[in-house]
Amino acid sequence: MLTELLQGSDAGGFIIIRDSASCSGRHLLKSFINAALNREEDVHVLGFEVSEEELKGSPVQRLHFHNAYSDPLGWTDKPTFTVHQFCMEELARLLKQTSHPKPATLVIDSLSWILRHVSPPAVCATLHQLRKGGAVRAIVALLHGDMHQRGTVGSVCHLASSVITVAPGMKGGDAVAKITKRSKSGKVVQDEDIFTINNDLTVVIQSKHSQVGHKQADPEEQEMDPTAHLTFNLRLSNKEREAKEKLALPFVFSKEKKTALLHSSPGSGRILYEPDANDDYDQEDPDDDLDV
Amino acid sequence: MAAPVSTVGKPSAERLPLNTTSFQKKTRTKLISIPGTRPSVQNGQLLVSTGVTSLDYLLGGGLAVGTVLLVEEDRYDSYSRMILKYFLAEGVVCRHELFVASAQDNPDDILQELPAPILDDVAIHKPVEQPRLSCEPQDSLDAMKIAWRYQNLPKVQSALASSSRFGHYYDVSKTMEPEIRQAAKCHRFYLTEHPTQSPPTHSTMLESYSALLKSLQEVINSEGFDVAAPMSKSRNILRIGLPSLGSALWGDDLSCHDNPRNGHALATFFYGLRAMLRSSLAVAVVTVPSHLIQDRALMGNITRLCDNAIALESFKGSERETNPLYKDYHGLLHVRQVPHLNCLASKLPDHKDLAFKLKRKQFTIERFEDGL
Repeated sequence: MLTELLQGSDAGGFIIIRDSASCSGRHLLKSFINAALNREEDVHVLGFEVSEEELKGSPVQRLHFHNAYSDPLGWTDKPTFTVHQFCMEELARLLKQTSHPKPATLVIDSLSWILRHVSPPAVCATLHQLRKGGAVRAIVALLHGDMHQRGTVGSVCHLASSVITVAPGMKGGDAVAKITKRSKSGKVVQDEDIFTINNDLTVVIQSKHSQVGHKQADPEEQEMDPTAHLTFNLRLSNKEREAKEKLALPFVFSKEKKTALLHSSPGSGRILYEPDANDDYDQEDPDDDLDV
Repeated sequence: MAAPVSTVGKPSAERLPLNTTSFQKKTRTKLISIPGTRPSVQNGQLLVSTGVTSLDYLLGGGLAVGTVLLVEEDRYDSYSRMILKYFLAEGVVCRHELFVASAQDNPDDILQELPAPILDDVAIHKPVEQPRLSCEPQDSLDAMKIAWRYQNLPKVQSALASSSRFGHYYDVSKTMEPEIRQAAKCHRFYLTEHPTQSPPTHSTMLESYSALLKSLQEVINSEGFDVAAPMSKSRNILRIGLPSLGSALWGDDLSCHDNPRNGHALATFFYGLRAMLRSSLAVAVVTVPSHLIQDRALMGNITRLCDNAIALESFKGSERETNPLYKDYHGLLHVRQVPHLNCLASKLPDHKDLAFKLKRKQFTIERFEDGL
């Protein structure tokens, strides 16, 4: 499923890459940026944690890097982008600066930085407005899961359409991605991929379901056909089947008799009943026969 | 002492229609008869169906009018949202009015996803045709091989207009037809359409919750759901659905922080909601993302403030999903609270370990058999 998410087929998605201290998710984030650029889309990056040179070596035309790395809290006189500018009006103004007709992809590196300085309900409200407003096509955000309280991480991930949790893999260069995707109909799909990232930022999936596959093979082998080795014959040949269906069962009427019985019922004999006083006899009332 | 025998009403002279009798029950009862409700057999409260018949059984026959059902959401809010949709769909089928308030999804989107009710065909009595020799008898008789005598009788009818049944079944794979849905009146509250004003300084409740309570109060008063209102027109029930209350989108940090700053805002809201519902002909189903709320004392507070409370725990994503014991079910259901309305003790469900499964035509809740 990682390749599908990278291809970005569904619009309006909010992908969160959740990493931890043991395994960084920034390489995967760079792969997402690369994939979006290869799709000829505009990408806006809010960079809080790393500088522009480190994220993307040479400047690319469709990549708009908003430098929040040098002065995120606005301590100097002229900050480029501060953390307090993460609200709907400012972001809408920022995104309108480019003249590209298609809505852009917004990449946030990282959401943890914003959550440290802005209250989580406000961040959630802004993200929700971004998604609904249609100003962006997709949002990809990096979140450090071990930097926040469980409730905060849970609340933000609850808003996302897909959450990719990266963890270190068995071998050195590998990483394991556990993906949870929620579709609009409420269906939840989970997947696990082992991947590596090449130098040109393409993602290579090593193997899928490596551990789950072994478990599924065993129960299937044990199911055998119980009718395989019997000493008597359970099957019917074609002739035998025809003879069976032609057999007239004792209490089944023939078709002519059925038709006669069905079609003659209305109008043949009707029972007309007019209840009179004697029929009001209530068996439970002991005094009913008293002549009072 | 002889008790007077109540005579059966004399049947009229003309031929009676197929399905009704002339027996008329004397209605001396003080209970207002509203379609879609019935009095409880245990304590005489007026009950409505939640839309899920197994849940009605768990709650003691149904949801009492004037109470709140709290549903603690499962991790991905799939089954709790389904219960809310069943509740609203039941309201449409019973011709009740609906009120949906949401912060995340547009209430119109929620209303468009209601499941379709399963109704049997209306009675169509096939006219008796002249039996053609070869084709017609074969067609009609092949349909029923064993019960062929019932061939020409009309099928059982229960059309939408006369749905006097309590509790209906829904097909989850289809959505409700727009004609049926638009027949029901619905009030909406979408939080993004209400701009937040600056809150008064010493308020224990957030402005989003206050706005919601004000909107509810207006609807109850203007549409005549207040019990104290004069009984001039026919009464109806208001069904209130509040999905994901307490999530971060309502402006509440209860689900974000371990020590929330305004931790009692949600509890105050429930207090106000229950007070409002007690004096009106309304029922509320509220879902809360309790798996995000870390402060268990606050969650316990909120549970006590609601009349009925259940919690859903789905197996999706947990290690229990592959456990062969749980393969028949989708999750576990915990009953946190049962109401005691006008009585000292309440009827607790017999079994504590319950599991649920969402099938296409039914949401079943069963006692979990662990096979030991």
